[in-house]
Amino acid sequence: MGDLSDALAVSASGMAAQAARIRHVAENVANADTPGYRRKLVSFETEGQAAGMAGMAGMAGAGGAVAGAVRPGPVRLDDAPLARIFDPGHPLADETGYYDGSNIDLVVEIADAREANRGYEANLKLFDQTRQMQQGLIELIRR
Amino acid sequence: MEIGRTLAGLLSGQAAGRPGAAAGSAAAGRGTAGAAAPWPAPGAAAAGSLAGAFAADFAGTLAEAERAAAAALLDRGDTHVLVQAITSSQLAVETAVAVRDRVVEAYQEILRMPV
Repeated sequence: MGDLSDALAVSASGMAAQAARIRHVAENVANADTPGYRRKLVSFETEGQAAGMAGMAGMAGAGGAVAGAVRPGPVRLDDAPLARIFDPGHPLADETGYYDGSNIDLVVEIADAREANRGYEANLKLFDQTRQMQQGLIELIRR
Repeated sequence: MEIGRTLAGLLSGQAAGRPGAAAGSAAAGRGTAGAAAPWPAPGAAAAGSLAGAFAADFAGTLAEAERAAAAALLDRGDTHVLVQAITSSQLAVETAVAVRDRVVEAYQEILRMPV
């Protein structure tokens, strides 16, 4: 049962990683109008990668996660230039009448959200598929 | 947890005794003794036999599901962990019940055998 239950754990880690991604997209969209806000980027890492292929057959990586599972990596900030917004009445505006907005592009954020959604659906589908395989196997002894 | 312990007990050797008590008083004495002989004692089963290892693993899976459910109810857990734990425990219970049914069925088959 090892491989099938490991597959369940890996799919669950994939869903958790996509959830972390959508969380950061939500943060970015919420702060689209915050002056000086920089877009947060999250990249994924494989669990137990340092152990190499020898660790793949073994059980747990750090924190009880299955080797080969995915986890969200450290959050980085997008260093694209901030948008210069002209609004002389704004309290943050300098003597030229401009202030630094955020570097969020809503189109990019929505596309990222859609991608996270698709990734989540794929992991959910695989989770269900694995469960059905295991249930089919148990059906055999039940006759 | 009670269900887990009962099923774990049933799988680890007490299974040989219970259906005997339910199967009928006339054959119960001889039948239980005959069926219990190839099974290790409940205490020894946990030591290292396949059934004991399976029962311990099974109880561990159920305990993990309960821990995840409690954490989720207290708003401290991850829903993905909860769903994964509940799915594994569901599959473990299904396996245990299927194995138990097969053991009881085999035992009753022996009881029905004309001597």
